Amino acid sequence: MYDIGMTVFNGLAWAMATFLVAAGLTLIFGILHILNFAHGGFFMIGAYVSYSIMMAFGGSLPLWLYLVGAMASGIVVGLLGWAVDKLVFRRLRDVEDAYSLIATYALLLVCGGAVQLTWGLNYMGVMPPAALNTVVFVGDMFMPTFTIFIILSGIVAYIGLEFFISKTRTGRLIRVVAADPWMAQLLGLNVKKIYLITVIFSFAMAGAAGGLLMPNQSLSPELGGIFLLQAFGVVILGGMGSIRGAFYAALLLGLIESFGTYFFPQYPGIFFLLALAVILLLKPEGIMGKGQTA
Amino acid sequence: MAYKINRRAVVKGMGATGLAMPFLNAATASAQSGPITLGVVTPLSGPAQLIGNFVRHGAEIGADYINANGGVDGREIQLEFRDSKVNPNDASVAARELIGAGANLQLGTISSAVALAMGPLLESEGGVVITSGAGTDKLNHENYNPHVFRVGDSPVSRNAGLVRHIANSRPDIRKWAGIIPDHEYGRTTWKIFEATMRKVIPELTGEEAEIAEPVLVPYGSGDYRNYISQAMRLDVEGIYTSVYGGDAVTLYQQSQPFGLFEKTDVLLDSANEFLVATAMREQTPAHWSGFHWYYEANKGNPLSDDLYSSYVERTGDQYPMGWAAEAHAAIMAYAKAIEKTGNTDTMDVIAALKGLSFDSATGMRHIREEDNQAVKNAELAFIEPSSSEDSGFAVTDYVSLDGETVVEPARPGKTLDLSTL
Repeated sequence: MYDIGMTVFNGLAWAMATFLVAAGLTLIFGILHILNFAHGGFFMIGAYVSYSIMMAFGGSLPLWLYLVGAMASGIVVGLLGWAVDKLVFRRLRDVEDAYSLIATYALLLVCGGAVQLTWGLNYMGVMPPAALNTVVFVGDMFMPTFTIFIILSGIVAYIGLEFFISKTRTGRLIRVVAADPWMAQLLGLNVKKIYLITVIFSFAMAGAAGGLLMPNQSLSPELGGIFLLQAFGVVILGGMGSIRGAFYAALLLGLIESFGTYFFPQYPGIFFLLALAVILLLKPEGIMGKGQTA
Repeated sequence: MAYKINRRAVVKGMGATGLAMPFLNAATASAQSGPITLGVVTPLSGPAQLIGNFVRHGAEIGADYINANGGVDGREIQLEFRDSKVNPNDASVAARELIGAGANLQLGTISSAVALAMGPLLESEGGVVITSGAGTDKLNHENYNPHVFRVGDSPVSRNAGLVRHIANSRPDIRKWAGIIPDHEYGRTTWKIFEATMRKVIPELTGEEAEIAEPVLVPYGSGDYRNYISQAMRLDVEGIYTSVYGGDAVTLYQQSQPFGLFEKTDVLLDSANEFLVATAMREQTPAHWSGFHWYYEANKGNPLSDDLYSSYVERTGDQYPMGWAAEAHAAIMAYAKAIEKTGNTDTMDVIAALKGLSFDSATGMRHIREEDNQAVKNAELAFIEPSSSEDSGFAVTDYVSLDGETVVEPARPGKTLDLSTL
């Protein structure tokens, strides 16, 4: 029972950490149809900004300041998103996908270089705030509170995004533009502005995810690539552009990865890829199908 | 169509050769009298630049030391750097280009994949390389190539050194597990650890060592919780790991709330030196780490003292790591070999390096003639968190083991024989 419980718990942790990164990625694809390779780079910048805030306060933060730090990272990276939209994404809207891939990959390299120049090459690490650095015992299961926090953060992020997209006016406008930007333009909507809002929001989510996941994670210019593959897997399996799909896909892949590692420990890390390949062979459009933005 | 060589063509060719000979001779003479150019092919960009920077500083400090002491037979050492990008293709292009530019003597390889690719290339192009931290055992075994030298630790000497020291100091710890990266180097380190531990513990205690199946972890993961849970299920007293760099920092961080390292008595870290401690500071779990070079263990050795003080002066970093000493040792080895042979011709330098004894930051090293592997001291340090240190950690113990006691027998061209450890 202990083993199964821990395996589910670890699978949920994997899933929600990945969803936090993947949410912005799938949103930007759903609206702008840009596969943003640089997303991992901006996630990394968010983590480093949060690290700097933490260090400025002595390296050990109370919970509220850690959360404020993550939000501040979201704001900083959101502002970078504004700049990226003005300088790069706007030019990619009417060109072939290959140009988007090249441009966003170049942006990822720029992010790596910027991190290297600003924070250096050394590995860095911080522990979670004291309030989240404890363990909860349920029977003989021990669950680190920081991991519980990450699982809850993923769930809250999902519910918040669902609410934002389906219940708020801005969210509805985003869905309209995602469905048919040409018609939205004819109806007098400021499509450019909605694109800009989407990019800023997606980038802010990447930055906040970096800030939230930064404790318990080594910081280095490699960080950008570490979650990117998982996040892309979740976005593809969920159905390109679907937040709900990404959430379900993250849960599915997280549990498969976790149980795979439990039953076949001699093959670590391959079950995520294996499951992705098999499910896409059976359902190539992903769980929610293409074009189901939010 | 057959190509016809007539008498006129032969005479023309002889004439051209005759005209060119004085210049060829002058070029050769110049190569044997002017500055000596050594090529350094090491990562100068990307994530591995962190390690490449140690190599660069170590090589420059070594060259400065030689030049300040009169050079090699009066000839100054110059370094020509190229970026390997930790990629065999890029490194091969760089190595070939350097040979074309006259730098046939090279160093700086830190990657096993690059080091293995260098052998055939340098053999065909007429160059030689001294690696600066490449850890694969294949280098001096099944993929042995006379054009590749390792003047640093073999993976056996470092890991067997760790095991022998711990087994001697804590023979009461007989139950071991490993957290091992699932790649060739990780599995090799585990094989060495397991074979040595299974041999040493019965010798010391008369009882068998109990060694669990290793927990294999993927490379470059952001989440090690499943693997930590696996390790938590094991009833062990000591943990050995060869997880490396950023992966090790993440693994150690994520292990803390589970109490994995509090549950066990000893944590043995194959090779992270100060990489984990400088990242985790006061959160660093107490552990023994293998080192290419630990400066405190070599205090009083002029080469070590110069390397340490020069490094700190250049960088402001108080914690140089062993790759600097490996590149430094490569410079020392080349200097001694060129001095011995009197020139920089590849085959002469190879002959001079084989069997060479030379001084280094870790004391005297001897390059075995049979497999180009150096015999050098294996150095280990015990790192603990410390609230009284600015760095947040302190080295509270260290040892330097005689290389002859930990290095494996030479078996060039043959696989590593674990029964010989």
